Amino acid sequence: MKEAEIIVRWPDGAPERRLPAGRVRSDSLATRFMQAGRPLNTRCGQRGNCAGCTVELLAGTFQQRDGAVISARAEIKACQGNVPPGTQALLAAPARSLAVHRPQVVTTFKLGVTAAQQPLVPVTPGVCDHGLAIDVGTTTVVVALVDLLTGRIVREESAFNRQIELGDDVLTRIQLAGLAQQREALRHSIVDETLTPLIWQACAFAGIPFERIAGAVVAGNTTMLHLLTGTDPTAMGVAPFRASFIHHRVMTAGELQLGVLPAGAPVHLLPGISAYVGADLVAGCACTGLLNATGPSLLVDIGTNGEILLWHGGRLLVTATAAGPAFEGGRLSRGTRAVAGAVAHVEFGRHGFPPRLRTIPGSNIVGLCGSAYVDFLAQARSSGLLAASGRWDLAIWRVLPAAHRCEGADGRGVRLAPASDATIITERDVAELLQAKAAIAAGIQTLLRRAGLTPPDVQRLYLAGGFGLHLDVSHAIACGLLPGFTAAQIEVVGNTSLGGAWLALVDRSVVAEMANLGATAAIVELNREPGFEDTFIDRMMLP
Amino acid sequence: MTTLEQLSEAISLGKNKDARLFAQRAIDENIPPAQIVDHALVPAMALVGERFKRNEIFVPEMLIAARAMKEAMTLLEPRLIAAGVTPKFTAIIGTVQGDLHDIGKNLVATMWKGANFRVVDLGANVSPAKFVAAVQEHRPHLVGLSALLTTTMPAMIDTVRAIRASGASAVKIVIGGAPITQQFCEEIGADGYAPDAGSAVDKASELVAAGAIDSPP
Repeated sequence: MKEAEIIVRWPDGAPERRLPAGRVRSDSLATRFMQAGRPLNTRCGQRGNCAGCTVELLAGTFQQRDGAVISARAEIKACQGNVPPGTQALLAAPARSLAVHRPQVVTTFKLGVTAAQQPLVPVTPGVCDHGLAIDVGTTTVVVALVDLLTGRIVREESAFNRQIELGDDVLTRIQLAGLAQQREALRHSIVDETLTPLIWQACAFAGIPFERIAGAVVAGNTTMLHLLTGTDPTAMGVAPFRASFIHHRVMTAGELQLGVLPAGAPVHLLPGISAYVGADLVAGCACTGLLNATGPSLLVDIGTNGEILLWHGGRLLVTATAAGPAFEGGRLSRGTRAVAGAVAHVEFGRHGFPPRLRTIPGSNIVGLCGSAYVDFLAQARSSGLLAASGRWDLAIWRVLPAAHRCEGADGRGVRLAPASDATIITERDVAELLQAKAAIAAGIQTLLRRAGLTPPDVQRLYLAGGFGLHLDVSHAIACGLLPGFTAAQIEVVGNTSLGGAWLALVDRSVVAEMANLGATAAIVELNREPGFEDTFIDRMMLP
Repeated sequence: MTTLEQLSEAISLGKNKDARLFAQRAIDENIPPAQIVDHALVPAMALVGERFKRNEIFVPEMLIAARAMKEAMTLLEPRLIAAGVTPKFTAIIGTVQGDLHDIGKNLVATMWKGANFRVVDLGANVSPAKFVAAVQEHRPHLVGLSALLTTTMPAMIDTVRAIRASGASAVKIVIGGAPITQQFCEEIGADGYAPDAGSAVDKASELVAAGAIDSPP
């Protein structure tokens, strides 16, 4: 009998999703969640000793291992039984039951185009009919196993890019890679320590033997593709920032030393535009449908380098702006990436304090991630706690409940959760954030000005990447990160780098479109744009 | 408040339109440009530097104040030149080869002007040879090198070496930028390291004061 049809209601108002069935029949509901790539917290090893995997049965029945049948509505331990085959059930999975996502990687993307079912790599049904869509990010890497007969993503696996252990950011890695030995260490780290285990897991969990992988498509920034292929990226570290290769490139798994895949399997590296606007952004352009837009459209990816692409009148203007690591938690006293235990949302109540915090589940509070800082900036400003200059309005700061105030070597601060010093925000943090948001805002404004446009002229602003996922768009507008836009113009599109890799994999016409894109793009070097610095300073204050 | 006091306040608070207005008013009141600099711009920027050191303001407000000073300076500079006024000390500044980031460098340049240095700004992506040529042309007391990228730090080494090799032994070299450290400064034989634009002024004053005793260039 067919496995049960299970619909799951996810936390935080995420859309209901069917829980796909694994290749192997699941021995418990908890296993079914794991096979679907949304593991529950089975910290006792599915022995039923803890309540980590508790979900709510809203409709349908649940059969326990001891034979007892439980009907909706009830709280059930997902490891202690399953929804009977051939039946249907509706479940709610609370955030506390979802397993630690360490790191929290965005593997979803919004597709703004239709895709033809014509895989890029040769397919023999039943023999060699799966492919891999791979996003190699500086911080995180995602491997999606795709059934090429249907285009469906069968399994996703993600992890930190192990190169982080050698160098945290792109520039450090470029510098390291200047030495052949270190370059090889970086290559080994991404190929053998990051991609290989991810591919292995994806195939193993889905029950797909490696021989059935017909090929792969890789998107990533230009530096990551250099390091993946063992190419010296040194020239990308200094002006004029030259890449050794930027075009679409087809290699074999053997050439890339991806021993886990059949040696002859083609691996397509997607084309990029420049050293700092890489295949990840080109993939984003394809995935979002930016190039089919009828009006001016922007693609914005906020990271240490904020990449901004403007499509207008059949031309693409691209730039990268040095935002610094603040939105990834860098240089901030309590900043962290979006990991388990990171506060991702801050919501001021009617009286401001105490604010309501939402934390990425899986750990006690470890710090604040970029989206929480954006929430804070917007609401601290609108409530008057922060002056336009980014300094506390002392009249308001002084009347905060004592537990929410702190004063030390870092100056005056605000403690969002009275019991947790991991939630302190100082004026120095605010100053760092102001510079980061000014860099992004001024980048967008400068690019628009080059095209003779203003924010209201923009039909759509696609916000890509991990930062966008948690971001409250209205707060991003209010704090001046995306100034002059309205929430209706902005669409959060997720991991469009992965999306573009998937699209190129399942629809062979896409790679050619991507390649054309690079040829039509004009690169804007912000530091050489008259008026950029002035705009940057103008954008520094809080609105 | 006198016009100079108003100008000084406008600058320290970063009100660039007011800064322009009061600078023009001071000129209209026939206050000599050198006096406007000494009694409005210099104290304003000294105050900004002091407040920065005490953590009372941070980089954003410093940038805004520096821009206001630049506004006033654009009106004053041609008059200073016409009056033949040259500051006692000259500094050359630039972002090293391979690096295009110049907002930090520009801030230091303004702070130095605010401390009454004559500043020759060579811009961004400046080769060692260009630095050497500028040193020979302007005979500065001080050279400031900026790098934002870890990947352009090696260019700083080359630049220091080239300036030393050119025989300009008395010139003091001060370096700064996000990835720079005191240790790096010592390794490459620069004379001073400034972690931020506020301390860049102190470091510059300290180095030229020492240099003035050693051997004037």
